[in-house]
Amino acid sequence: MKKYLLTRQELSQLLDRLAKETNLYAPVKDKTGATWGKVKNTAEVHLEEVNTREPAKGFIFPRCEVLLRFDQKGNALEPEPPEEQIVFGIRPCDARAIAFLEKFYTIEGKTDPYVKARREKTTFIGLACNRTAPTCFCLALGGSPHDATGMDLLLTDLGDLFLAEPLTAKGEKLIAGYPEAKNEHLTAGAKLRKKAEAEIPLRIDTAKLQEVLPKAFASKIWETLALNCVNCGACTFLCPTCHCFDVTDETVRGSTVRCRVWDSCQFTLYSRHASGHNPRLDPRARYRNRVMDKFYYTVEQAGVISCVGCGRCIIACPANIDIRTTVERLLKEFPEE
Amino acid sequence: MNNPYLPLPMRIERVVIENDARDLKTFDLAFVNDSDRKGFQFLPGQFAFLSIAGVGEAPFGIASAPHEPLIKFTVKRVGVFTTALHELEPGAIIGMRGPWGNFYPLELMTGRDVVIVSGGFSFTTLRATIAHLLLPENRQNFGKITAIYGARSPGELLYKDEIRQWEKSPDLQLVLCVDRLNGADWPKREGLVPNVLKEVAPPAANAIALVCGPPIMIKYTHPVLKDLGFKPDQIFLSLENRMKCGIGKCGHCNIGPKYVCKDGPVFSYSQLLNLPPEY
Ligand SMILES: Cc1cc2nc3c(=O)[nH]c(=O)nc-3n(C[C@H](O)[C@H](O)[C@H](O)COP(=O)(O)OP(=O)(O)OC[C@H]3O[C@@H](n4cnc5c(N)ncnc54)[C@H](O)[C@@H]3O)c2cc1C
Ligand code: SF4
Ligand code: SF4
Ligand code: FES
Repeated sequence: MKKYLLTRQELSQLLDRLAKETNLYAPVKDKTGATWGKVKNTAEVHLEEVNTREPAKGFIFPRCEVLLRFDQKGNALEPEPPEEQIVFGIRPCDARAIAFLEKFYTIEGKTDPYVKARREKTTFIGLACNRTAPTCFCLALGGSPHDATGMDLLLTDLGDLFLAEPLTAKGEKLIAGYPEAKNEHLTAGAKLRKKAEAEIPLRIDTAKLQEVLPKAFASKIWETLALNCVNCGACTFLCPTCHCFDVTDETVRGSTVRCRVWDSCQFTLYSRHASGHNPRLDPRARYRNRVMDKFYYTVEQAGVISCVGCGRCIIACPANIDIRTTVERLLKEFPEE
Repeated sequence: MNNPYLPLPMRIERVVIENDARDLKTFDLAFVNDSDRKGFQFLPGQFAFLSIAGVGEAPFGIASAPHEPLIKFTVKRVGVFTTALHELEPGAIIGMRGPWGNFYPLELMTGRDVVIVSGGFSFTTLRATIAHLLLPENRQNFGKITAIYGARSPGELLYKDEIRQWEKSPDLQLVLCVDRLNGADWPKREGLVPNVLKEVAPPAANAIALVCGPPIMIKYTHPVLKDLGFKPDQIFLSLENRMKCGIGKCGHCNIGPKYVCKDGPVFSYSQLLNLPPEY
C-alpha cells in the first residue's frame, strides 16, 4: 500500500482533532511507566516507554464487560452497542494480538458478537518500534518491531516526519489529503526497521515447535520448567492474546447484570468440575497448558501461534519464569529425550 | 444481533423429584415464545445452559428427545446455581441458551446394535437417546438396543415411570443395577456398572457403545468394552469439563487443542486416545 507523510505538528493536530470528535485512547504516564488512558489532547500522550504495561486487548475484550442486563422480571436484555474509539500508539506486537483475538473469537461459525462489534468500532493507529526492550522477541515469532498486522494505520517516526501506512479503509480515511511519501522516506523507514530488528537476536524454529510440543506433553521436563510457578496468573492477565473469561452475575445499585471477566488457566479452580474432579490439579499441568496453548493449540484452532513476543509475562512473573527459556529448552531437548 | 449469550425465556411446567436423597430434580421446560421453539433444534447428546437472573448459569445435558414437546433437564443440587434452580416451582421463568455441542453418532449407529452404558445421574442424555431410538419411525434403523444403567442405590435411579415402561419394551434390553443394596429389597442386580457390563457381555460385532458417567466410571468401563471386542472407534463417550461459554471462546473446557463444548461433549474413544488426558 501507498505510504504518506505527516509532520510532527500535523500529527499533533490530527490527534487533538480526534480527541475532540471521538474517544481517543493512548499510552499515558503513570507511576511505573505507561498505561492506557483516555486523552483530551496530544500533550497527555506518553510514548517514552517501549510499551504499555497492560496490553491493548481490553479495547476489544475488556477486563470486565456487561454481557446482559436483566429487567425487573428477569428478562435478559442486550447492553447498548459500544461507542466509536480510536486507539493511538499501539505497538506491532499488540496489534498482531488484536488480529489473533479477532480471528479466534470469530472462527468456525460461532462468533462472539461483543468482540466483533468492538473491533468494528475501533480504529488502531499503531506506532512502529524504533527501540526495543531486552524482553522483546516479536521477531522470533514472525513479527517485527515494524510489522503492520492488525493495524488500521501504521506510523513510523522518522524524526521530524512520520511515515503513515494505511492498512484498512478506516486508516485511509484518517490519512486522506496528506502528501505521499517519497523514496528517500521509504528508505529511511526501511533502515529503522532493520536497525530495530537487529536488536532482537533470538530466533525460534516455529515449524519444529509444532512437532516438538505434542511429543513433549507427557515429559517430566515440565516439572523443572514450572518449578517456581506460584500460579498467580499475572502472565495471563498481562498477555495480549490470552482470551479466557469467566461469566458471573452481579447486582450493582439494585440492577442485575451478567458480566464476563478475564480468567486464567493458571488458577486451580479454572478447570475444576462441580463434582470436585479437576483435570489440571497440579501447577505443572497448568503451566504446560499455557505454553501449549500459545505455541500449539491455537495453531490447531486458528492457524497461528498466539504468542506475539511482547515479553510482558517475562517482566511480570514474580518467579522469574521466562517463556523464551521454556521454548528454547523444549526445542533443545526434543525429540532426543 | 445473533447473540449466543442471550438466554431464551422458558417456563417451568413440571418439577419431578427423582431420588430418595431429593437432590436430583427433573425440570420440564416450555418455550415462552413460539418462535423460539421453532428455532431450537437439537439431537440427543447436546447440552444447553440454564440461566437465572442474578444467580448465573450452568450447562446441562438435554434429557428430552427431539420429538418430546417439553425440554427436560435433570439437575443435581451441588452448588450455587443448582440450589437456586432446585428452589423454583412450576410457573417460574428461567433462561436457556443452546443447544451447544455435538451429539451421539446417530448416522454411524444406523444399521448397528447400540450398547448404552451409564452410571449415576449422567444418564440424562442417554435417556434422550433411548427415547429417540425407541420411536416407531426410528426403530427399524437400529439393531438390538442394550442399556446398562447403574445407580448407587435403588432410590437413586432416575426416570422411574419410564424405566417401568422400557422394561416391558421388546425393543430394548434394559439392565438395571445398584452399587450396593444395604439390605434394601431389590430384585435386580447388585454390582458396579463395569462388572455388570462384563456379565451382560453384549456382542461387539457391528455395535456402537455409548458411555456416559463420571470420569472414574469411564476409566473402568473402557477395559471391559475392550475385552468384549469393542474397538476405540466403536466407543463414544460424553464428557463434562467445566464450561462458561459453550461456544469455544472462554477457554475453560479444553482437552489439548479441542474444546469439549464445541468439538464434544461426545468423543469417540479413538479421538480421546489422540488427546491429552485432561478430563
Ligand atoms: C456438558 C455438560 C453437561 C452437564 N449435564 C448435567 C446434567 O444433566 N445434570 C447435572 O446435574 N449436571 C450436569 N452438568 C454439571 C453441571 O454443569 C454442574 O453441576 C453445575 O455447573 C454446578 O453449578 P453450581 O453453580 O450449582 O455449582 P457451583 O456453585 O459452581 O459449585 C459446584 C461445586 O464446586 C464447589 N465450588 C464452587 N466454587 C468454589 C470455589 N471458589 N472454591 C472451592 N469450591 C468451589 C462448590 O462447593 C460445589 O461443591 C453438566 C456439565 C456439563 C459440562
Ligand atoms: S506469552 Fe508472554 S510474550 Fe507471549 S504474547 Fe503473551 S505476554 Fe507476550
Ligand atoms: S506470572 Fe509466573 S508465577 Fe505467575 S502464573 Fe505466570 S508463570 Fe506462574
Ligand atoms: S465452555 Fe467456553 S470454551 Fe468451552
